[in-house]
Amino acid sequence: MKNQFTIHHFFLVLLSLLLYTSSFAQKVKQNKVRLKVQYVKIVDGEIYFDIKATAKIKKKNVRVSDINLTIYNKLNDEKIKIGKTTTNKNGESKFILKNLNLIQPDSTNTYSILISFKGNNTLKKASKSIRFKNANIIAKLVTKDSINYIIAKLIDESTNTPISGVSLGVRLQRLFKPLIIGKEFNNTDKNGTIIVPIEKGLPGVDGNLIFEVVLNESEEFGTIIAMVEAPIGTPIVDESSFDERTMWSPRNKTPLFLLIFPNLLIFGIWGLIIYLITNLFKISKSKI
Amino acid sequence: MKNNKTTSRRKFLDKGLKISLTTVISGLGITKLASKLNAQADEKTDVKMELMTTDGTIIQVGSSEVMEMDNSKKHKEYNVREGMPNRKFVMVIDLAKCKNALKCQNACNKHHYITGNHAWLKVYKMQEDADTAPYWMPTTCMHCDHPACVTVCPVDATFKRRDGLVLIDNERCIGCRFCMAACPYSTRVFNWSEPNQDEITMLMEMEHQTHNSAEFAGLPSIKGTVDKCDFCPHTIKENILPHCVTACPNGVFYFGDKYEDTVTNGEETLRLSQLLIDKHGYRLMEGLGTKPSVFYLPPVDRLVDFKEGLESFTDFKSVDKSE
Amino acid sequence: MKNYDILLNDLAPQKFGKKGVIWTISLIVLIILGIIAYIDQIIKGQVVTNMNDYALWGVYISNFVFFVATSFVSTITVAVLRLTNNSWRTPIVRIAEIISVAAIIMAGLTITIDMGRPDRLLNLFIYGRMQSPITWDVIIIPTYVVVSLLLLYFPLLPDFGLLNKYYKEKQPKLSKWYEKLSLNWTGSDAQKTIQLKSIHIIAILIIPVGFMLQTIDAWLFSTLFRVGWDSTNLGAYFISGASVAGVGALVCAVYVLQKVYKLENYITDFHFDKLGKFLVLTCLIYLYFNLNEYLIPQLTSKKEATTHINVLMTGEFAPLFWFVIIGGLIIPIIVLLFKKGRKPLPMFLIGLLVVIGSWWKRYLIVTPTLLHPFLPIQGVPEEWRHYFPSIHEWLITIATLAMALLIITLLVRYLPIIPIQRTADEQEELKINKSTKS
Repeated sequence: MKNQFTIHHFFLVLLSLLLYTSSFAQKVKQNKVRLKVQYVKIVDGEIYFDIKATAKIKKKNVRVSDINLTIYNKLNDEKIKIGKTTTNKNGESKFILKNLNLIQPDSTNTYSILISFKGNNTLKKASKSIRFKNANIIAKLVTKDSINYIIAKLIDESTNTPISGVSLGVRLQRLFKPLIIGKEFNNTDKNGTIIVPIEKGLPGVDGNLIFEVVLNESEEFGTIIAMVEAPIGTPIVDESSFDERTMWSPRNKTPLFLLIFPNLLIFGIWGLIIYLITNLFKISKSKI
Repeated sequence: MKNNKTTSRRKFLDKGLKISLTTVISGLGITKLASKLNAQADEKTDVKMELMTTDGTIIQVGSSEVMEMDNSKKHKEYNVREGMPNRKFVMVIDLAKCKNALKCQNACNKHHYITGNHAWLKVYKMQEDADTAPYWMPTTCMHCDHPACVTVCPVDATFKRRDGLVLIDNERCIGCRFCMAACPYSTRVFNWSEPNQDEITMLMEMEHQTHNSAEFAGLPSIKGTVDKCDFCPHTIKENILPHCVTACPNGVFYFGDKYEDTVTNGEETLRLSQLLIDKHGYRLMEGLGTKPSVFYLPPVDRLVDFKEGLESFTDFKSVDKSE
Repeated sequence: MKNYDILLNDLAPQKFGKKGVIWTISLIVLIILGIIAYIDQIIKGQVVTNMNDYALWGVYISNFVFFVATSFVSTITVAVLRLTNNSWRTPIVRIAEIISVAAIIMAGLTITIDMGRPDRLLNLFIYGRMQSPITWDVIIIPTYVVVSLLLLYFPLLPDFGLLNKYYKEKQPKLSKWYEKLSLNWTGSDAQKTIQLKSIHIIAILIIPVGFMLQTIDAWLFSTLFRVGWDSTNLGAYFISGASVAGVGALVCAVYVLQKVYKLENYITDFHFDKLGKFLVLTCLIYLYFNLNEYLIPQLTSKKEATTHINVLMTGEFAPLFWFVIIGGLIIPIIVLLFKKGRKPLPMFLIGLLVVIGSWWKRYLIVTPTLLHPFLPIQGVPEEWRHYFPSIHEWLITIATLAMALLIITLLVRYLPIIPIQRTADEQEELKINKSTKS
């Protein structure tokens, strides 16, 4: 009987301990946040981290807005804080690095960045680290035999050596999404260069076109965009009827026929009407 | 005697453990309930913001309900009646891909707060003759270059812009419905009663700050005036595609600038002239001479069978009132 | 002035008897009901009608077209008969002018009932675009109101002068009004010259204005793409239809007034006979246009045209269509081709048929076309595929018709129905002619 009691008690204690700890576990944060970070370098332009925060709440992917994130530069097991940011209502944030010199690379010339989220009542803490090397694209427009080409060279800035076998894309800036020029994937040759011919007849405002040479989401070098301004487009001509006198123009641009003829009719008829009304007065005045 | 004491002690321990077990279990139950209730309450009570309405009263609004205005000047200022310079907006609708998913219609209804019985974007079940094949045809306003509706408006309430858009100034509209009679595409909609957009009306007034603009169709709608698809000028001037284009899961809608000769459906970006040649783009009712800005790509090499769209076809409904 | 005692006794406006008062009060009741319904429409919006995004114009517009058509009667009777020297028109011209004035005023009011935002009426004038057919309508209707009022007023001057004297003792207050309105008419040569010249100008002026009014009304439909409206026929079709509606209304009014005011000596069977012939002529011309509109498109069988005609001839609108064509057009033609059919009572019944047929004809012009647009009707409630006016629409429409009748009634109460001075002049001329002959 003693044994039964002990086992009985032991079982109860174990059960209650399990339940106790599991109740604690229930109180721990439920939702996991996933951070996506992309390092983007615009040649002769901004350098920034494109951050997106999402979470799976009730089995749906939701963007997480208004959370505070801290950005660190990881160097030799140390975390140097370089800034913080907050996600907007779309769960996105753009953290601009004013100068690449603000962060230090390690001995392999690789920069290591950590973005971390402390967590809050409903969200677990999360972090994401990325590593990238500093590379550069030098792009220019070249015309040969009346064909225009974009020539671009991809260089590893830290060693000043060209990078070969990497796929670059050339695209033309357009209003909503850019237009791909040439092939989608152009691998850099042993000199790190690509040559892409530009098709004829691309229109642009005043003939100005802005091309982008893009290294897209490379694991080693992040995203690099180099812009080339080229006045080789066909100028845009305004073909709208907005300035003409048409049947669908606003009233300050009525067709001349409709301005002249109806008004002549109206004035003619109302002129007669006014004459008739004056006749009424004449009748009233003449008493003889 | 000693046995009794041990037994009673054991019994006491036994009871104690049992009581503590039940307490823990019920405590668990309560905490679970409480956290669920808390979570609900959390969803409701977010940070409150103080805002001033247009007539000067201060109100408290949950910050999750306030939409940010991106005032970044990605575009130059222009006259609302003239439109964006150097642009001519066109849309291309690929009938070969349309499955009648109706995500476009839902997005349009939602973002323009349509409360009536008639959606602005309709997906028609078309079959010209028993011998010809049926297909799904989404229609928006065609933003015609020779718009019959603009010609007949007596008060210049609907107007054609330089960038191709045909918009409605619902502060000027007198509700004669002549434009609706003139439109051969049956794309215009009338507010026969109060639109009942309720609290949204107040929020919308805050969003575009001072007064109605023709670029925010449906925000708000006014009783006794006409509404229609506006090609979402409030989004396209921020270089974001219209709502129907982004909502379509099948890439049916392409949108872009004809002068740039480029259209995109969010995934593919193509040269408009080449697309129209490759897939023989055409326009609806070309013979009427309205010169619409919406091109259709014929339903050839269909990706999905027409019948798969029949499930979601509602002959007598185009606006979901359940929300 | 000469002694026109007999004429004045017969033709001077009299007080209303019991019937007149009951008539007027019933009209006022109908009008008040309509106003209440209209206020409800303003508050709730036009959702109180049965109009929808497809049947976007309904009985308000067809009623408006009817009023515009009926207002054509003074153009066709006074001006056209005058130009063709049909002297029998004298006793009926004033009735025609009164009907015209009432109809065109009501046309102007009725169209504002159809507006979704009547509070923005002034926009039509401040922001008006000359390119829009509605603007042309906005210009021509007030013009026609003024011209038809002038056409009514100028010949009234001598009559007002006569009535002023006639009522001086019996009803001095009324006499004062007639005095003011007669503009100091003495019958002098100077005044007569101005008056006759003015009447001559108005009679010529009203012809182009009247024709323009009907044509612009037709252009509200034929400038649009829709089947049944996009017809090159429509301008002439509407002018012809307006002649039918106008003369039909005239016939009814002439009969009623002749009976109520016992004017058998002035409006005789001869006049009814002539009016009957006139009505037959207008109906025959209208029948010709109807054949062109409804019969000929069936030969080319264009899809939309066929749908439209089938709906009218064998479909939802068939009973109404055949009533309008047979009852409103063919039966009148047949009856009126016989002398017996042109006697007063049959004329009145035929006149009623013609007017009722005309009213429903305009309903058939407006509604069926809207119910088969180019793209199929989908995605809207099932009720939207049909249209029949709601109670609000009926109350308001009947109120506008009652208001037109009320205007006629009031004008008839205070104006001599038959031009007194002119009748006197004509009688004088007859006497002189007789005496010169013998």
